[in-house]
Amino acid sequence: MLARVVTAPQWRVWSYAAPAIVLGCSQRALRPTLEARVQGRLPVVGREAGGGAVLTGPWLLGLSLALPPAHAWLDGGLLPGYQRLGQLHVEVLQTLGVRARAAPPQERPSRQSRRDPDPLDWACFGGLSPWEVVDAQGRKLVGLAQRRRQTGVLLVAGTLLSAPDWRLLCEAMDRPDDAALLRQRTVSCEELLGRPLAAGTVHEGWARVLRQALE
Amino acid sequence: MTEVTLDAQAWQGVEESVEALVDKWLVQPGDTVQAGQALANVVLVKSNLEVTAPAAGRVAQILVPAGSTFARGKPIVVLEAK
Repeated sequence: MLARVVTAPQWRVWSYAAPAIVLGCSQRALRPTLEARVQGRLPVVGREAGGGAVLTGPWLLGLSLALPPAHAWLDGGLLPGYQRLGQLHVEVLQTLGVRARAAPPQERPSRQSRRDPDPLDWACFGGLSPWEVVDAQGRKLVGLAQRRRQTGVLLVAGTLLSAPDWRLLCEAMDRPDDAALLRQRTVSCEELLGRPLAAGTVHEGWARVLRQALE
Repeated sequence: MTEVTLDAQAWQGVEESVEALVDKWLVQPGDTVQAGQALANVVLVKSNLEVTAPAAGRVAQILVPAGSTFARGKPIVVLEAK
């Protein structure tokens, strides 16, 4: 979406029929070992944005939002774009009955200090970055990342519609003992609502709110 | 000689203790670069960003290798004027 200069906001929704592991750009070196371990049973791809590994699959709904380089959402550094995107997700989820909030930077858990690296820093949903979306207990529901180029900025988000198969991810990453901790630190729309939430319903909510927000 | 680092605007609101990571070098020592050319991709707060050349020149020295981190304001590459 950034191959050409972005002249007006554009957005796309992504759903995933089958599981795959998406590594963050700084995890590129892990890819050969990981591919050898999963031996084609699970596709492994890399993304240009930062952050830890994501397990895509039917449980995840993705949103990519490309903005022109001078768009108002991008004023003031990296964080305002995250704030707008996080709050937009909160607004949509609230209309669907899912109570969540965008966590401000000061809520970053102390477990993620540089001196004491978090054991789950390899997994996107294992950590919490500014303005990512959490429930009342601080469990992560939506992960955010972005990519900035001279042609524009791509903001991306992944929402947990249902509980991912964390064991599948952790075993592939050779961290089988981390699955329980990932389950503790995350929550899905289905768990919060007590019933499944259709991807199409969220998609319609995004369309409505994005049209208003980006006008 | 011009020392180049990540634009200060990218660091706005980011905790003082947080460092950025050099993800990938797009140039090598000895390369000639144009003003505005992307020199490296770096990662800060889950964001992949470009560090660009402020002016035309030649890449004299890479100060931070790919895979290493750097603090706010620390130069990562030195350019010399053509």
